[in-house]
Amino acid sequence: MSEKELGKKLDRCLADGVVKLGTGLGLGIVFSVLFFKRRTWPITLFSGAGLGMAYANCQHDLRSHYLLHTKEQACEGRPQKT
Amino acid sequence: MASRIWPLVKLVSKVTIAGGAVYVTYDSGLLGSSEQGSVVLEKAKVAVPPALEEWIKYFGLEAQLPTMPKIEFSPINSWNTGVRWTISSLSEAPTRASEYTSQGLQYVKDLIK
Repeated sequence: MSEKELGKKLDRCLADGVVKLGTGLGLGIVFSVLFFKRRTWPITLFSGAGLGMAYANCQHDLRSHYLLHTKEQACEGRPQKT
Repeated sequence: MASRIWPLVKLVSKVTIAGGAVYVTYDSGLLGSSEQGSVVLEKAKVAVPPALEEWIKYFGLEAQLPTMPKIEFSPINSWNTGVRWTISSLSEAPTRASEYTSQGLQYVKDLIK
């Protein structure tokens, strides 16, 4: 993986982390207000889940360069390792 | 009869609102891959400031709120500058340390003379 590619992937990871944290926070606030009598734990739970999803996406993105892909995946448009 | 239906109506409306919120976030790609997330963030960066200005004008809050000064500050450039400065300082540190040490020793020798 070139440095430029790695930099772009890390930028994407950061942006995705911000988006998912915000989404988790928003959904947590909605659920906390509607179902859980404005308690704090749903907000924390959903924010944590959002961060976890961002982490998993980032991990997959960084690992995908080193994984071997089958021909079917190549037809779907994913890069094929030669 | 109404007292029995009212909690049910409340529950159904709450579930509808929560379900709608989850559907909107899923449909807009906020829960998808990294690429979708960064695309959504770019769209939000472009769309939010004009929308905010429009809402401020609509509610007539322009006079009440102080005008935001346009600051030409890029956190990315500041971070990159900081990283470059740190690494260059670390790479020059041994040379500078030996220079300062030799200067200090020379100063002490001159004092002793």
